Amino acid sequence: MTVVMKNILKFSVDKIPYEVWVFPGIVMLIAVSSTYAIIYRDLFDLRIHKKSFMPITLSPYSKTNLVIGFLTTSIIESLFHVLVAMAVLTALLPEPLKWTAYFLTPIFAFIYSFLLANLMITLSIVTDRITTYLSLSIMMFLFVIFGTGVLVEFDFYPEYIGIILTNNPLSMVLSQLRDLLFYNRINWEWVVTPLATSIGWTWLNGYLLKRKLKQ
Amino acid sequence: MEASITLKKVGKLIGDKTILASLSFGVERGSLVAIIGDNEAGKSMLLKVISGIEYQEFGQVFINGLDAQKRRQEVMSSIGFVSHELDLDPWLTLEQNIQFMGMLYGIDTETINTRMVQLARELHIIPFLKRMVEDISPGIVKKGMVIRAMIHDPDILIMDDPTAFMDAESYRHTWDLLLRLRGQKTILYVSQSLQEVEEAHDRILVLEDGRIVLDGSLDKLLGSTFEFHQFQIEFEELSEDLFKALSKLPKVKNATRIGNSIHFYGRERNVFFEVLNAASTAIMKDIIVKKLSLQDLMDAKYAKDGIH
Repeated sequence: MTVVMKNILKFSVDKIPYEVWVFPGIVMLIAVSSTYAIIYRDLFDLRIHKKSFMPITLSPYSKTNLVIGFLTTSIIESLFHVLVAMAVLTALLPEPLKWTAYFLTPIFAFIYSFLLANLMITLSIVTDRITTYLSLSIMMFLFVIFGTGVLVEFDFYPEYIGIILTNNPLSMVLSQLRDLLFYNRINWEWVVTPLATSIGWTWLNGYLLKRKLKQ
Repeated sequence: MEASITLKKVGKLIGDKTILASLSFGVERGSLVAIIGDNEAGKSMLLKVISGIEYQEFGQVFINGLDAQKRRQEVMSSIGFVSHELDLDPWLTLEQNIQFMGMLYGIDTETINTRMVQLARELHIIPFLKRMVEDISPGIVKKGMVIRAMIHDPDILIMDDPTAFMDAESYRHTWDLLLRLRGQKTILYVSQSLQEVEEAHDRILVLEDGRIVLDGSLDKLLGSTFEFHQFQIEFEELSEDLFKALSKLPKVKNATRIGNSIHFYGRERNVFFEVLNAASTAIMKDIIVKKLSLQDLMDAKYAKDGIH
């Protein structure tokens, strides 16, 4: 995607080479993809096919703790993929990133995965049909790619759409990471809001799981 | 004896349909209790409610004296559940499935492995432990599920058709293990095999439309309910007059005609001789006398109405 996109967009609005600007977005996309695969396999697939999911729910943990378990395993695995992806992408960059990028990107990938894994867990709990799940997943991926600033800056969108998209928690994570990497500035609101949303969402997922299972 | 499981007016609804209707009973610690009943009688739902898979709409379930709903996390460690469906993770080995569940219950790896190998040896599935579940036959998977349910050493085993999909040898190995645990663990199971239930039980619960219609040991159920024998006489030719005459004998109960055979029940064996006397002019081909079995008990007509 970036190979094609860089022929259209050579630089970001602030004159950063497109390959460098898009680096955090691509890393987040890889984090999302691996998180998705793990949540699908460990939660949705096991639940709808009645494979080992019910015995897990009978273990002596609250439903919120089980959700935290699904989140933890998926995020740890996705962070491993993020590290591998960063190594590969670095080799393709025209200019090296600052060393802090290799420290900050996994941290923000964690927040990004934390949010999206919660969304995937919600989908896995509320949907019972694979077709519904897949169509919702495609919509989610389209939103991630085009609605959170992964590939295209919000400045290219009409102003009101740009404002709406900028103020969703996923975009905040990516925008904040780019701000730190390219401009050395931090807006704590954009760090705290996604984290707080994720924590609240985790609790909500625990509640949804309890309702769904009637336990 | 102390109750391991106690149900107090437990009711379960699905939509408008009553699945369990105000069930109250206790299960003694260390006893082996079989639940039987027709399809849709509520057997599996009863196991789900007791094991905490589904909550009841009404009443309370107590496990070792603790309210299963209010103190779920304490109660869950006491229960091992085997579902009817094969529900191991197909993308893991049998061993990984069992180890994962042991770890969920906070058991250390060494204890998990020791217990797993011991149980696997008893069930003769050691060679299958390292194989992927999707590559193993259903009977072996079911045995793996039995081990998984026991890996955290629960006091109570709740099993929905524990020997489903098993061949005769696997069935015997599984029951050898379960009968060895009789007295140490409370075992509550559902089975479609009445022969299995006749062979392995301290107590039988017969469920019908979400209600317990019969409760007790096989001898008690058959003794208190019927004390009947079942008779069948096949004639070379059974005329309508003869059938009517035999049916009207005072001690003959529920006489039915099947071709040239008369089938009936009697409280004492001497009923049979009265029938033989009454039918002495006709030529008889075959005679069958047997005590009532669980199968007869489960015959809906007699379970509901008894023999009149």
